[in-house]
Amino acid sequence: MLLRGYGTAGPWGWLTLLLVACAAWASEITFELPDNAKQCFYEEIVQGTKCTLEFQVITGGHYDVDCRLEGPDGSVLYKEMKKQYDSFTFTASRNGTYKFCFSNEFSTFTHKTVYFDFQVGEDPPLLPSENRATALTQMESACISIHEALKSVIDYQTHFRLREAQGRSRAEDLNTRVAYWSIGEAIILLVVSIGQVFLLKSLFSDKRTTTTRVAS
Amino acid sequence: LALYFHSGEREEKCIIEDIPTDTLVVGNYKVQSWDIHKHGFLESAPGLGMFVTVTSPNGEVVLSKLYGPQGTFSFTSHLSGEHIICFQSNSTRFAVIAGSKLRIHLDIRVGEHFLDESAIQAKDKVNEVNVRLEHLIEQIHHVTREQDYEREREEKFRKTSEETNSNILWWAIVQTLILISVGIWQIKSLRDFFISKKLV
Repeated sequence: MLLRGYGTAGPWGWLTLLLVACAAWASEITFELPDNAKQCFYEEIVQGTKCTLEFQVITGGHYDVDCRLEGPDGSVLYKEMKKQYDSFTFTASRNGTYKFCFSNEFSTFTHKTVYFDFQVGEDPPLLPSENRATALTQMESACISIHEALKSVIDYQTHFRLREAQGRSRAEDLNTRVAYWSIGEAIILLVVSIGQVFLLKSLFSDKRTTTTRVAS
Repeated sequence: LALYFHSGEREEKCIIEDIPTDTLVVGNYKVQSWDIHKHGFLESAPGLGMFVTVTSPNGEVVLSKLYGPQGTFSFTSHLSGEHIICFQSNSTRFAVIAGSKLRIHLDIRVGEHFLDESAIQAKDKVNEVNVRLEHLIEQIHHVTREQDYEREREEKFRKTSEETNSNILWWAIVQTLILISVGIWQIKSLRDFFISKKLV
């Protein structure tokens, strides 16, 4: 999980950090969802905060899961069945506990590994601009732009990592299936062919007397 | 500690962290227990603790400790791969009362280098930028480690794909050979049989 929260300078820094940090939070968790199971997560959100829920299925079956996001009054804000990946942004219309659930209840025997990233609020600025006496120096603005660029690099890296994990999981599945099915087919082929010959032979050897009478 | 989820009393809940080597992972948790009489979650339950177990990709246990109802744990990965962090309460109530559950608040941070706030307050303007730069450099190192790990995984992916490709080819050849040789054997065997039975 990545928590993006940064320190601030100056005597008012702490206060700003406290106010801003309360508003911004990002949780990302990768967990395994067993078959026929449902896992719910809850978060207390302040009214007016812009939140984003993003999820992706990494391994298992058809790589899909049901997702459902409900507000504090039980109203369904987002509901999708059998989705592989999605991103949903919403603004909290009221204070309260928001709940989102991932369900694998439609699957009978495949476990799914699900990743989700729930971002609450905007990230706090690196260097707060509220209490500045002078404009930002070049160094500071360079720092800020590098920080923003790094945040998006880390974000893209996470997405890439997930896609690669999903691709690799599919490739490994394919490899196992090819191996097992090929061995199975070869065995079935042998068994059926040899079986056919012996079956035919047995048909003729039982009715021996009848066949010779017909032939002659 | 904003995000939370529910768990059974003796249930083990695990999360997976796929991380490169030499990465610091810090976790914060808080657990509350359900009180059936008050129909609410208690602020603190005396004696309630959590077993935190961290397993490295090769199966060895990196961390296994019992913490109180609220705690912080951390570990540094020595191998790159999937580390599994498991939480299980030390509740000894075998007779699980209907409706008893735990609320687990969780916050896990991977690879973040945390700024020492008091050090920033004490230093002057120049050093503040210094500290920011150190933080940025730490972030870049994290990105580099992730990229190296990604390269390893992509190689494994490529090997798997190539193995699948050669498996398909090899097994197709083997199956064709089996088919041809068994077909020949079938005809020969039947012909010999019919000749011996004086039917042909």
